[in-house]
Amino acid sequence: MMSDVKFVIEAKGLTRAFGARRAVDDLDLQVEAGDVFGLLGPNGAGKTTTIRMLTTLLAPTAGSARVCGFDVTRQPSEVRRRVGYVMQNVALQTNQLLTGRENVEIEAALRHLPRRQCRERADEVLDLVGLLPHADRLIAEYSGGMRKRLDLAGGLLHRPEVLVLDEPSLGLDVQSRHRIWDHIRGLRDEGTTVLLATNYLDEADQLCNRLTIIDDGRTVVTGSPADLKRAIGADVVQVTTNAADRLRVAIGGEPWVQRFVVTDSGDVHVYVDDASVALPAVMRLSLDHGVDLQRVTYNQPTLDDVFLLHTGRELREMEVSA
Amino acid sequence: MVDVEQAVHPPLTPEVAQAVRSVEPRPWAQEVGALARRWFIQLSRDRLNLVFSVCQPALWLVFFGSGIERAVNARVIGTSNYIGFMLPGVISLTVVTNAVSGAMPMLWDKETGYLDKLLSMPIARSSLIVSRFVFQFALGCAQVVLVFVVAVIIGAGIAAGPFGAIAILVVAGVLSMASTAVFMGLAYRVPTHGTFFAITGFVTLPLVFMSNAFVPVDAMPTWMAVVARLNPLTYAIEAMRILVLEGWRVRVASSFGVLVLFAAACLAVGTYEFRRHTGQRVDERR
Repeated sequence: MMSDVKFVIEAKGLTRAFGARRAVDDLDLQVEAGDVFGLLGPNGAGKTTTIRMLTTLLAPTAGSARVCGFDVTRQPSEVRRRVGYVMQNVALQTNQLLTGRENVEIEAALRHLPRRQCRERADEVLDLVGLLPHADRLIAEYSGGMRKRLDLAGGLLHRPEVLVLDEPSLGLDVQSRHRIWDHIRGLRDEGTTVLLATNYLDEADQLCNRLTIIDDGRTVVTGSPADLKRAIGADVVQVTTNAADRLRVAIGGEPWVQRFVVTDSGDVHVYVDDASVALPAVMRLSLDHGVDLQRVTYNQPTLDDVFLLHTGRELREMEVSA
Repeated sequence: MVDVEQAVHPPLTPEVAQAVRSVEPRPWAQEVGALARRWFIQLSRDRLNLVFSVCQPALWLVFFGSGIERAVNARVIGTSNYIGFMLPGVISLTVVTNAVSGAMPMLWDKETGYLDKLLSMPIARSSLIVSRFVFQFALGCAQVVLVFVVAVIIGAGIAAGPFGAIAILVVAGVLSMASTAVFMGLAYRVPTHGTFFAITGFVTLPLVFMSNAFVPVDAMPTWMAVVARLNPLTYAIEAMRILVLEGWRVRVASSFGVLVLFAAACLAVGTYEFRRHTGQRVDERR
């Protein structure tokens, strides 16, 4: 039946302005059933605004979006019935004196499950996120990671066709982060469509089969992580030096150098055909030209390089400063 | 067009679909129940809050009422039963302070984003507000009943009898709804909780003093009487006071009628502010 509607989420020219500022500008999205679709971008890129429009919490200024075939502005309750939304900040401060189980049961009732099923289903989802042993503790005693998982459990109650996760691992320790990732992989394996907003490159790389990089409210590029990286068509030699200009003179003309990019942080990314050959050449030429190198590494291209290639800026740097 | 899409898109699993269908006639009641449960469970665990909330009006009556009684001229207030005279004033003071603290969770829900989470669910928006009314009303009833018991113990009866007591509960309930609606509206209106507390701190006590809570309207200078007549509290207190001191009189109905009109206006204001705050969002009725 799902095949009748090609895309689970389809946005066309989606735009949201706040005053003169366009938080989301002419965004197109096409998410297929079963995708774990990433919305990757720095803070303030418009990820949350996009999600708020797709979850019917914010009316678009222009453009349209359909979720499971339903228009977000004209059929909001149909959309709400099919979407599970896990917010960026776990907003459970006002439920501190509820137990985890009560919290989920109340959400189950708000999803209109019959009374006797509420308890049953609450236990199921609590078990799914590994919180069943802590179900009868007060939320006040929960750690940040547990709260996040509790919130995720709530989003699964009604077996949503689409699960929307806004920065699911933001601010979590490594262990909690990996647990959340495991849950998301589990959902993917069950065929749930997931829209995942993140500013973590590794998260998008690990979990998503397709992603859109957005920056400043606009789509930068869309594709699978592998394709996007392959499109760079090169290995990346990263050089830390105080003399980027002289390095450019030294190696810029070599035939094996595809691109020479100086990042905001002053590092040099040299895109080359084959790093194993290029590395010694970079070092030899630097030595010949008297360019002092502090550090040379080489990497397979990452999503950071994809972002850098398309925007001229580094996502990683913005993460740190954000 | 909608029908076609619904045919194409049933909920994922048959048992969930069945579940949703089987409760369709009363989802609203279920929503209100679930949301009210959220408030009741948390209050029941917050013992200090519970004890202080419920006992506060009784304390007012005993200490403030009994103390002031000696200083009051019985001819001015028109009765020698000062505790009985004070009772409606204490009840309305309680209702107003309750309304302020009752609006606070709405403020937190708004600021923490839980309100957004609720709005992303397929629930009626009215259930958000109504569930809070239910909670406020129940809490108010507990307070009023306790204050009745205390009043009887310290020697003030209710002239209108047990049904009069129930009528007083109804009046207090309407006043509670009206003031809760206004303060909830304020909670949705203000940019931050700081503004909310600045305004409520400024308004709450004057609202009570600028009514007939402690002085009858007849004993006021004209300008003050005019102000008091514009205050919905005055009508609630009047209706309750007649029930306590005199019994069933026609004036109970007229005062109650004015109170209901005020309450309707307050509810309209509260609803307007709620809609305005959520207006950026997609409205069900569009």
